[in-house]
Amino acid sequence: MRISPSRSWRLKEQLYTITLGKCQECGNVFYPYQSICPSCGSSRIEKIVSKGHGKLITYTVIYQAREGYEKAMPMPIGLIELDEGVKILAPLTDAENIKEGAEVEVALRRITADSSNGLIQYGIKFRVIDDAK
Amino acid sequence: MVSVAEVSLIKVDRYYEYSERDLVIEAYKQLETKVKERVKPDVVIISSGYIESIGKSNLSAVKLSSSLGFRGVKAFRVENGDNGGAAIYTAYSLIKSGLAKSVLVIGIDKFSDLNSKQVNDFTATNLLYDYEYHLGLTLHSHAAILAKLYMKQYNVPYEYFANWAIKMHEYAVENPNAYLRFKADLNTIVKSQLIAEPLRLFDIAPRADGASIALLTEDDLARKYSDAPVTLDKIAGASYDYSYDLTLPSIRMAMKELDYKIDDKSIVELHDSYSIIAALELEELGLGERGKSLEQLDSFQVNYSGGLKARGYVGGATAIYQLSEVVMQLRGDFKGKKAVGEKGIVVSTDDLANSTFIISLMR
Repeated sequence: MRISPSRSWRLKEQLYTITLGKCQECGNVFYPYQSICPSCGSSRIEKIVSKGHGKLITYTVIYQAREGYEKAMPMPIGLIELDEGVKILAPLTDAENIKEGAEVEVALRRITADSSNGLIQYGIKFRVIDDAK
Repeated sequence: MVSVAEVSLIKVDRYYEYSERDLVIEAYKQLETKVKERVKPDVVIISSGYIESIGKSNLSAVKLSSSLGFRGVKAFRVENGDNGGAAIYTAYSLIKSGLAKSVLVIGIDKFSDLNSKQVNDFTATNLLYDYEYHLGLTLHSHAAILAKLYMKQYNVPYEYFANWAIKMHEYAVENPNAYLRFKADLNTIVKSQLIAEPLRLFDIAPRADGASIALLTEDDLARKYSDAPVTLDKIAGASYDYSYDLTLPSIRMAMKELDYKIDDKSIVELHDSYSIIAALELEELGLGERGKSLEQLDSFQVNYSGGLKARGYVGGATAIYQLSEVVMQLRGDFKGKKAVGEKGIVVSTDDLANSTFIISLMR
């Protein structure tokens, strides 16, 4: 079994929401959330749930799969700058109108499954909500 | 001071008939033919990124050192993804501190037992964040994004990256221990399989099987094993998360610590996991201009082995290959394209250069 229920549950703030950390000392905003600032080391961290909205800086399409992700090929992957200022790399979905500069929002999607009747892993993807001007 | 008393390596290839243990034994038998007397190291260090995951073998240092007949030595593995520079740094530190007089560093990795999508799954565990792995991302996707940003920033076409593959294959033809010993032309490269747009097959270093060994000793001990030891002058290093600003801070910080200007007289082996990473490394090392480095490849002595691109990419063993090749260049017995110079530089990183060790060697 590839998918671990306990791991998926533990990662819920990364895979089902975009939970950010905001350092109260240096102002660094980062993803995924953790209780210590990766920039300055402070443990005064505020937890923020991102609005899941941002801009597509650029993207790629991958054609060579990883085991377990064959059905997702070809997989478009975007570099997204969230409104909160954090850049993240994540899969794109509903991907007919991908353009650099497009407005995107987060969506929850099926990512992979152990087998046709096995556990299913869900996670975040981004979809274009407005073409680049 | 620390010396590299002797080195050995086997041709990078796909060895379906050989296990990791068999490959290490082959490399060791070669080392034994080169040293003046039988090696008795105080410590054996295994540098391997995947012997546990792909090779299904934990406690590998104990098993391998026992296979080589080293009973009673201290043996352990240094895992640092594909950056075997960490194992060399550990060996150097042990000798420099006086805790050991001699350390055998064994680089070993083997990928040919699995297909590409299985290998991609293991290499993706090098991604920095859990969500990246679980969303199905690969190292290729990061490199592809960097390539697109680079093309836009410097207004270069995709063909710009082909310069790297053409040059590496040209060098590899001369290296009998290289994996891909054939020339590659622009047409072949631009029509090769699309892996992660814009990256094609020739933009990505091919992972294959290999083993390489370096015997590091105190200066005084080196001549017991060899008449031509090479001095390992200094190792600098740094770790820094990847970013998307087309710089490699880990290399910049390591260079600052090294406090040495690399130039066209330096004999360099760098970690070209992707053509885009080769460009960024050349530029961060100060060898090439930003946005132009891959058009300046005849201006410096870099990767005469053929690099990861054509000599082959052996995971955590790669740095030991690089070290061995630079040592042989400095001694004058490298079997491929000959470099000229008295200073050698090994730049060991992981795929995306989050982690860097730069090793400076002198004849």
